[in-house]
Amino acid sequence: MAKKTRIKAKLKKDIITVKAMANHPMLSYIEAKNAKKEANFITYMVAKVNDKIVYEVSTSQFLSKNPYIKFKFKGAVKGDLVEITWTDLKGTTQVSSAKIK
Amino acid sequence: MNRRNFLSLGLGALAVSMLPSTLSAINFRETKPEAWTTTKVEDSIKAVFGDLPKGEGKIKLKAPDIAENGAVIPVTISTKLNAKTVAIFQDANPESTVAVFSVPENGIIDYSVRIKMAKTGTVTVVANVDGKLISASKLVKVTIGGCGG
Repeated sequence: MAKKTRIKAKLKKDIITVKAMANHPMLSYIEAKNAKKEANFITYMVAKVNDKIVYEVSTSQFLSKNPYIKFKFKGAVKGDLVEITWTDLKGTTQVSSAKIK
Repeated sequence: MNRRNFLSLGLGALAVSMLPSTLSAINFRETKPEAWTTTKVEDSIKAVFGDLPKGEGKIKLKAPDIAENGAVIPVTISTKLNAKTVAIFQDANPESTVAVFSVPENGIIDYSVRIKMAKTGTVTVVANVDGKLISASKLVKVTIGGCGG
């Protein structure tokens, strides 16, 4: 769980494309039962730039392991910090950030 | 719209307006707990969006026809419509809601995620555009289940 979310943000013609990969096992209830582990998955993910929300999703157990997300937004410049925060079922949160290139 | 629905809508609006820091932040896990346990796509749509009329519009759903590995199915949604909420559902897993996106102001709807499905099923995306539900769906064949199956 120590691994940070990998984020790549790129500016092109006023539109910033962000690709991010969170490091999380995303164990659904069935998978967890088979593996004799506790179910745990990311339930909420939010991305902010300059304290403004640019991406927001509530997720269920059916995202793939190490969920990969891609989204686009407008209204930021090069060098701005993209901050992605996720929360999982156990209440763990992790904040990762990357600069827009 | 019956009275009960109307009341719950009012309560929901109140809860949203009382959120302290960020205006558009809605954690659907907390505000709509019932949406995550429903097993039918129609029920889930109702739980997430409420009883809204269906509308016409273009929403693009990109998913593979045949997914060799059900654990990793890339799904892309894009639309130029001014949607407030976009959600993904499927009917292959025990529960049907996959993800609910809240689109921020001036947001560009072009989202990609990877989902997992236990078996062949239909992926449905629904968007709330000005109080109308616009949906698109696609059948994805899964050859190896990705949900512990």
